[in-house]
Amino acid sequence: MKSLRPILFAALLASSGAGFGHAVVTHHSLKLKPVPVNQASQVELNFNSQVELDLSEVFLVSAGDVMTPINALPGGKPGQVMLELPALAPGEYAIKLKIFAADGHLSEDLLRFFVKETH
Amino acid sequence: MEGIADYLDSLIGGVDLTFYAIAIGGLLWGFFVLRPWQDDANYNTALLERTGYLIQFGAMALVITQLAKIGLKIWLMAVTLGKSPFPAFFNTMQFQAGMARAGLALILFFYVKNQLMPHLRQRQPWLNATLLAMPLVISAAWLVHGASRLEDRALLMTLTIAHQMAAAAWVGGIFQLLGIWSLKRQNAIAVEVWPLVLKRFAVLGTAAVLGLVATGTPLAWYYIRTFQGFIGAGYGNLLMVKIIMMGLALGLAWLNRQAVSDYFQNRSLHTLTARVPHYIEAETLVLLTILFTAASLASQPPSVDIPHLTATWDEVLNMFHPRIPRWESPTHEALLAGEAGRVAIVGQVPSEAATAWSDYNHNISGIFLTVMSFFAMLSYHPRCHRWARLWPVGFMALGVFLFFRSDAESWPLGPIGFWDSTFNNGEVLQHRIATLLVFVLGWLETRARISNDPGILPYLFPLLAAFGGMMLLAHSHVGFEAKTAFLIQVGHTMMGVFALILACGRWLELKLDSPGNNIAGFVSVFALFQIGTILLFYREPLY
Repeated sequence: MKSLRPILFAALLASSGAGFGHAVVTHHSLKLKPVPVNQASQVELNFNSQVELDLSEVFLVSAGDVMTPINALPGGKPGQVMLELPALAPGEYAIKLKIFAADGHLSEDLLRFFVKETH
Repeated sequence: MEGIADYLDSLIGGVDLTFYAIAIGGLLWGFFVLRPWQDDANYNTALLERTGYLIQFGAMALVITQLAKIGLKIWLMAVTLGKSPFPAFFNTMQFQAGMARAGLALILFFYVKNQLMPHLRQRQPWLNATLLAMPLVISAAWLVHGASRLEDRALLMTLTIAHQMAAAAWVGGIFQLLGIWSLKRQNAIAVEVWPLVLKRFAVLGTAAVLGLVATGTPLAWYYIRTFQGFIGAGYGNLLMVKIIMMGLALGLAWLNRQAVSDYFQNRSLHTLTARVPHYIEAETLVLLTILFTAASLASQPPSVDIPHLTATWDEVLNMFHPRIPRWESPTHEALLAGEAGRVAIVGQVPSEAATAWSDYNHNISGIFLTVMSFFAMLSYHPRCHRWARLWPVGFMALGVFLFFRSDAESWPLGPIGFWDSTFNNGEVLQHRIATLLVFVLGWLETRARISNDPGILPYLFPLLAAFGGMMLLAHSHVGFEAKTAFLIQVGHTMMGVFALILACGRWLELKLDSPGNNIAGFVSVFALFQIGTILLFYREPLY
């Protein structure tokens, strides 16, 4: 349900919401390098800040919003994270991130992508 | 529980900054404004002890708040990640720097209690306490935005803690002034003290403002860079709000400064005692709101990092564009039918019914508030006062409207039961509380306006209004759809600013003498009208 925060606050009271956003993905490889069909692959994410991977979670979301945890490993550069994707059939997917940034903010982010047959 | 943990986590940053300002700003006040070692004959024990107690209180409250922040962070991670954050959390900068900061604040508390309080007229304990506070100030550098950046960390951390110190000097000084004013009202201090400290604080206050600008400008440049980043992203938008509110606070500070200047020319205490304390009270509301906004700003991604997610000037203006309010709501069935697609991650389908439902709620609420503001304006006319003063009844009607419309999937409209939805969903719980408060607020304010002896009732409305504005500004955040979230946020933050103006105006209307009270009252009602107008023309982006 869309929140009614504006109304409630206009009536001078508090409301709620979900997730902060400090650590954000500034660049990722999904745009540059499509995920291959039926083949395990890696996705590179670059954040705007340092992240605490031990306190973060990454999920692959597939049709029906089925969420599968995936491995996230530190990349070679600060703020870089490598994700290990399993072999995926053609279709729509998303990567859901719950990231704890070094400044203490827990961020959630979502990257939608398609796996397509290449002809 | 995730919603509640997230909500509390977003608020505690503002609370933390407030206590920090009381402790650190209090020390700066003692060292630069009061200077009790100069043996001013006007300083009595009551005055010095009040100063010391405030610093002591600020330090202890900071210890508790810092520990609560760590506790909330642990709770938030546990409920968000669904697992214990230990032992990994022990190794984070947040835990280590946070515990160090709590420990340093505790040391400061004990020093103030055991060494400074018994020797308040000696310079050395003041100097020691200020030096002792330095590690506390510096430890905060590892808890700010800049600490997690990939580049220029040292510069950003240094600028941020200098910015915090300048803010603490201003806010802490204001709290000290309020403390001294309460002594003045009890005739517990010499008559000369009040104008004297006001005059001395003007120097520290000016230095604090210069410090804020000198440190804030490079930070803003670093994190924003472009005009579009300033007007089209959450970070820039909250900074703009901070600048507007700082303008408000400076306006009130300027009134104080003028009054002090007049006093030293004509020696009439009237303005200094009948108006200045209330300007300071209003300034306190503004400054506290700025601190909560600053804490919220720290949770936003800097505009410079999300150029692809910033809105254009036209898109921002469009959120405030006048249009015909939506009079018709989609059916409840149409709304529920579109929900599954709207909330889906994969295969998301934007719901036009949900957008229309939301627009209708906002626009009708806008009608409530604009109509109320018209009646409120009429209530200033002697011929209409008798019946128009009942305008707060509109809040009660708005509360009933929100009760039915705010959570359509829950009772009374939706299939989820009242108790089930209220206690198993943080957002619904907060909506329920907020709805009840809107209703109670209307009831209290109506009683306050019709009662011959209302007591403290009239003061609850401006305090709740300021609280509401503060909460709105403190809880700005970015969701999955950063640009959509920002476009929704931009109207909210403006309503937060107007809520604050409404609060300050009503407070001054209650406290000032004529003609200031009438001017303040009208400004307050105008702010209510502006909130109504924003809601009246509200259109939610389709998502």
